[in-house]
Parts: sequence; structure tokens; C-alpha cells
Amino acid sequence: MHGFISLNNWEREIVDKPAFQRLRRIRQLAWTDQVYPGAMHTRFEHSLGVMHVISRLYNAISSRSLDVLRDEFGYTPEGLKRDEQLIRIAALLHDVGHSPFSHASEELFPENEKGAKFQHEQYSAAIVRTQFREVIENHPLNTANYGFRAEDVAALLEGSTKAKQTLFWRDLLDGQMDADRMDYLLRDSHHAGVQYGRFDLNRVSNTIVAIRGTRGRAPRLGFSEGGWHAAEGLVLARYFMFTQVYFHKTRVAYDIHLKGALSEILPRGKFPRPVGGELDEFLRWDDWRVLGELHAGRGGEHGKRLVDRNHYRIVFKSPEIPGPGDLPFLEKIKLRLGRLVVATEEASKSWYKTGVADIPIVSDSDPGLVQPLSWYSNVVRSMKANNQVLLYVRSEDSEKARSIVREEVESEQSRQGTLGFDSGAR
Amino acid sequence: MNNRDKARLGLIPVLAEKHPAGYIGRTALMKYMYFLQTLRDVPLGYSFSMYSYGPFDSDVLSDLSMAESLNLVSSTTVSFYGGYGYRIHPAPGAEVVKDEAREFLTRYKEDVDWVVAEFGNLNSADLELASTIIYVDREFAEIGPPDARAHLISLVNEIKPHFTLEQIERSVDSLQHKGVLASI
Repeated sequence: MHGFISLNNWEREIVDKPAFQRLRRIRQLAWTDQVYPGAMHTRFEHSLGVMHVISRLYNAISSRSLDVLRDEFGYTPEGLKRDEQLIRIAALLHDVGHSPFSHASEELFPENEKGAKFQHEQYSAAIVRTQFREVIENHPLNTANYGFRAEDVAALLEGSTKAKQTLFWRDLLDGQMDADRMDYLLRDSHHAGVQYGRFDLNRVSNTIVAIRGTRGRAPRLGFSEGGWHAAEGLVLARYFMFTQVYFHKTRVAYDIHLKGALSEILPRGKFPRPVGGELDEFLRWDDWRVLGELHAGRGGEHGKRLVDRNHYRIVFKSPEIPGPGDLPFLEKIKLRLGRLVVATEEASKSWYKTGVADIPIVSDSDPGLVQPLSWYSNVVRSMKANNQVLLYVRSEDSEKARSIVREEVESEQSRQGTLGFDSGAR
Repeated sequence: MNNRDKARLGLIPVLAEKHPAGYIGRTALMKYMYFLQTLRDVPLGYSFSMYSYGPFDSDVLSDLSMAESLNLVSSTTVSFYGGYGYRIHPAPGAEVVKDEAREFLTRYKEDVDWVVAEFGNLNSADLELASTIIYVDREFAEIGPPDARAHLISLVNEIKPHFTLEQIERSVDSLQHKGVLASI
């Protein structure tokens, strides 16, 4: 993926910790291998990749935009070197809070006292504060050179104000142009055996810049003008991977079954909270444990469907960008199918949903001229949010359901020409 | 699309309509949603976290993309030297979603009016600063450092060093006058 990835002794000791090694047992793309058999990679190699990519991006920005960083934040070369180490560790640890099979099971995170669902970043931060505190704070490389606390890493991961000015770099961890996305697009594409997620990382990491804030606003990350096609390629890679891999109809079906099975396997149907002793119990959950439970026959109907590869079937889908009549027609079909419909999945609810990225591009001839990527790119300007809706039925009901859908579609076809009827051929 | 989705989508054209300018920018949209959820307890279900440009949740921009895709609002880009901005206007499809979200919009009308009245005159930079101060304030309200005001001003200055201490103090005073700070 990236060739050799270098780690210093401190980073190597972090990698050796059990809470990091657990990532070897959490697949990056859940049950995507049921569609793309090679997609068996894990959060372990992704985390190493993110650390590597973030260093490339950080060093590119530091060298190309030193004047901006100096003027806006008072950075010195020594200060930049210090924060690079902090950001590398944050990147390395950004996914330690993942639950089994990654995002697919996050719906089973419990709620906090305010009724909001915990997020995996909060688990990561809590794990950093506990499992990694000693190795972060007491390693000789840290005590002799940096003096970081585990809290510095955790604050950056969860977006706490305690991260202070290093919050500027948070966009490289979780933003439009983050190292996480850059690594997973390339890695997922490689392992799935598709080309959709490929973009020019070399060009991206040689044209990414810090752009001065204007009219009193904070500085931002963007691209120099020469890199706008590379930025466009990144946006398109995300779009293609969403439609072809992340929101693939069969992959989505396996997410449904995983959630259903886990809700029966987990005590009270939820993961432990990221607090106190519950965190240790959370860390005992990984893919292996879930697979063992499934192999033992647990997980109810959904567990059995996972084991038997007898997944729900899609019987109808809206267009990716539904027109005015498309969703009402889907609702009409859903009503007609009644209890045959066992799941309705919306692209807008997917963790991988794309939205519409608009990345600042700064002119090569005048740093005061900044335009959004959509100003340069006809393609990006034309992109709209994917609002596709998929209807699923049990495999044993699929013929009956398809027959009903066919009737409805045929009666509407004279008035509507763009209905998406899935033949179920694949 | 559940009721909360409709409420979030319906709120976007409503905020644009109610703004004195007749449109809002992306920064204003983001920060108004933050103010509604944080200061008025409007149940929007966003998960804001802190960036150097203030509290942010990419779901707000995803909702905006969806609203544009469904023709609830339309956006235009406005360029100026040093940057650009957006103007988000209500579009013809807005009435449908507003109708679907009527109960929510009626229940929280006063809160929406309050946010537009209290913050509608602030530009993007002022909104970034005000929302950052409120975010820091809410974190401080939980841990309660002594002399919260001095700590708050100092921390905001570290996050947003392009603002002077005097600018931050003025903004803190203004927010305190509005009665929205919890730690001071």
C-alpha cells in the first residue's frame, strides 16, 4: 500500500500493547468479503497506514505553509516537530475504540446520561486515557523530548478544547481531507479488488496546504491550485467507493444481520459503556469472539443467516438521487409489500455517506485568491448527496415480493421512466 | 426518513427565511444548529466536536447536501478576496418538508426565533468565536476550574490565537449579557 512504514521505539511499544493488537481481530469492512472475497483486512494495518499518511500530509503542509503556521499559530520548526509526534500517535490510536466488525456494529453502542449514543471516538479516547496512559507518558522518548500526556492525544481524538491549538490538525484526523479517508479508500479498494478508490496520493500530499484565515476566520486546510485535479480525484474516489462497495446492496444486508445477531448476543443488546470497568469488558469484544458466538449457534435468526449465507434480498431501490415522485412511489411499494419488507436502508444514514465536499483551493499566482473546489471542477459542482433507499425482504419471500413489485412497476412505467427495479440477478 | 430527519431538513430553509438577510451561510447554519441544540435543548441529535473553526458536525453539511438535492434550498457561492462563502436560500421544495415537519417547527419556533434574534447580526468570524466560547464554557461547566472567566478567555485564545484577548473578552461579555454562559 505505502511501502515500508517506519516506527520509532515509542510507537512500536504502543503497537505491541494488547489494546492495539486487538485491532488485528477487527475487520475493516465487516462482512464485505461476502461480496468482495479479498476484503478481509483489519483495522490494524489501516491504523499503521493512517499514521504513515498523516506524517506525509503534515510534513507537506509544514514545509509548504510554514509562513501561515508561523503567523497564525506562532509555530517554530521545533514546535512543528513536536506536534508531528503527537499527531502520529493520535493517528495510530484513532481506531482503538472500534467495536467488532467496525462501523457495522456501532448502532449497538449504548447512550450516555444525556441520551446521546456514544461514538467510537469516545471509546478510542477513553482507551487512550487508560490502556495507553503508561506507555504514552512514561516512555523515555516522551519524557526526554516531548512531555505529552495521554490526555493530549485523547483530547485531539475526541475534539475537546483541551487539545488547544493542535485542533488545527484535527482535520487531518477527521475531516474532508483526512489521512483516515485517504488510507481507507486506497486500502479498501486494493483488498476488495476494485479500482474505484484509487486517487493520486503522491499529488495530494504534495499540494495540500494551510490557507490563511480571512475576515477574522480560522485558517483551514486546502490545496494549491495545481492540485485541484488530485483533490477532485479524492472526492470521486469516495463517491465511487460508496456506490460500489460501502453501500453495495449485499454488503448492506450483512450489516443488517450483524446488528441483529449482536443485539441477541450482547448482554442487554448493547456494548459496555466507555467508562470505568466496563471499558475492559468492551475490549474483550472482537470479531473472533463474535464469530465464536455465531459458530456456537447464538445470534438468533440473523446469526443463522450469517452462518448459512442466507442474507436478505433487495427487491426495490430508489435512484441514488430520487426525483419528486421516486420516494412516494417507493413508499407505495413498501405499503403494498407490507410485512414482507424486513428492512429499509437509507444511504443518508450510512457511516460512509458522502455528502458534498467543498475543498478550498488557493491560487498559485495569488495566495489571496481562494475558491472552492466546486468552482474549479464541473464534476464536483454537479454532485448531489446520495439519498438512495433500499427495500429488503427475506430470501424465502423474495419471489413473492418481486412479483408484487413487478406489478407495481409495470403499472407505473408508462408515467415514470427511471424506476429502479432490482432483478436480483446477482 | 424519520421525523428527526424531516425536522433537521425542515429547519434549514426556515433558518434561511428567518435570517434578516433572507439567506444564511454555511458557517451560520452550522453554528445556529449548535446554538439550538446546546443553548435551547432542541433535540436535533447532532454530535458536535471541536475544531479550530469552532464546533462542527459533518452531519449538518450532509443534511444541507440532502436539502439541496431535494430542492429544499439552493446555494450560491460568493467570492471575495481571500476566500469565499455560500448563500443558502429557500427553494420551492421547502414547503413540502416544512409541512411534514410542522409539529417540530411549531414546537421550537420560539427557539429558532431566539437564535436568529440573538446571533443573526454576527458574521462568520464572530460566530466561530462565540460558538467556541460556548463550547469551552460547557466543558468548563462540567469540570469547574476556579476563576472560570480568566481560564475561558485564555483557552479560547490558545485555540483561536488570531483573535486578540480584547476581542475574546468583548465576545465573552456579550454572551454573558445574553445569559448563555454556564461556567461564569
